[in-house]
Amino acid sequence: MTDQYKISLAAGDTSFPCEEGDTLLRASLRQGLGLAYECNVGACGSCKFDLLEGEVADLFPEAPGLRPKEREKGKRLACQCVPLSNCTIKIRSGPEYVSTIRPARINARCSSRLAVTPDMAIFSFATDLPTEFLAGQYAMLSIPGVGQTRAYSMSNLPNQDGNWEFIIRRVPEGKVSSFLFDTLEVGDEISIDGPYGIAYLRQDAPRRIVGIAGGSGLAPVLSIMRASAGLPNTHGMPVMLFGGRTPRDIPDVAKLMEGSGAGIVFNPIISAPDADAATAWTGDTGFVHEFIESRLAGPLADNEYYLAGPPPMIESVVRLLVSDHKVPANQIHFDRFF
Amino acid sequence: MAFLPLCTTDEIEAGASLRVEPDNLPPLAIFNLDGEYFVINDTCSHGDASLCDGEIEDGEVECPWHNAKFCIKTGKALTFPAVEAQKTYLTRVVDGKVGIEV
Repeated sequence: MTDQYKISLAAGDTSFPCEEGDTLLRASLRQGLGLAYECNVGACGSCKFDLLEGEVADLFPEAPGLRPKEREKGKRLACQCVPLSNCTIKIRSGPEYVSTIRPARINARCSSRLAVTPDMAIFSFATDLPTEFLAGQYAMLSIPGVGQTRAYSMSNLPNQDGNWEFIIRRVPEGKVSSFLFDTLEVGDEISIDGPYGIAYLRQDAPRRIVGIAGGSGLAPVLSIMRASAGLPNTHGMPVMLFGGRTPRDIPDVAKLMEGSGAGIVFNPIISAPDADAATAWTGDTGFVHEFIESRLAGPLADNEYYLAGPPPMIESVVRLLVSDHKVPANQIHFDRFF
Repeated sequence: MAFLPLCTTDEIEAGASLRVEPDNLPPLAIFNLDGEYFVINDTCSHGDASLCDGEIEDGEVECPWHNAKFCIKTGKALTFPAVEAQKTYLTRVVDGKVGIEV
């Protein structure tokens, strides 16, 4: 049996157990607490905390989520710290961070791989327990022997069969994605820890669903589009804007949506029309945010937005929606991996 | 327009800030930049953080939660995730008191 440490929160009398080797953040979320976070990989800085008592090991001391100045002041990231003793920490929390479905670690076997573009594929994994998550969430995948963990969003829907699907992009020089594409075989085991993330489908939001994605941001937005089949369609058909570089980077979303029962409007946009002259492209050309006004009929504040993709895309979209169109920030959902 | 005093000049050291909660106004952040005083809304336009808990450097204040930077003089949002400016107030010093015109 592994050791367990008691982690106390400075505010109030809350405490939670943390298994040896688990991060402070994930352990707290497993216990139903709402410690502030977004990315879980040390990039966003949302889970910064002060260590008031005790000792921790920092798994990623150079994580970009903290400024050097913050580190000098003793700030740490809860997603990258594992306790070495009982601890007292001071950290922000809120009900919006509480996991409806408490994250857990499970073993999974690769069951199939299907290419969706030249550098993206759907990886499917089978587990022995029902698959529970909210559309739009992600999980942490770790591969035995590789010693690295990555966050990937689920592209399918929760199911009783124990199937998890992720759309993963091959990152040049990326240790985990290279392993998944080049070494992992059907039947091989990995570990899935999830679900995590706060950019999930708000089922009761009384507005049209708009998904805006680029690259492997396809996965969570596809899951949300699929989940829209279960909602009343009274606010208009969901719309998905997807940005790729060339025509070859545009997935066959109509085919991916088959069997979901959801009807959506799919609007692909490419940014580099000349890069692949072999494929004729007659659709929109430019950056995704440039087509939001023209492709979404009606006031932009009448929609609920789900964003996933490259940081510059997310930033441009949020700027347009919030600054120019006064869309309330609480109608725009994304997990900041930057 | 009337002058509303918020604090005395010696309550805030150069390079520091002070949070005040006047009646009928949102919480305000008063900054002393080398003897010049500026007042902007204290609550970050992106979340609920108090900018008075943030680092001040080169005339900018950095939100303690998500590191969005704002220009203290103009209130402009300089870095993501903030995209909206902080409201600024016409600030004056009268008889050793820092205040705003409201």
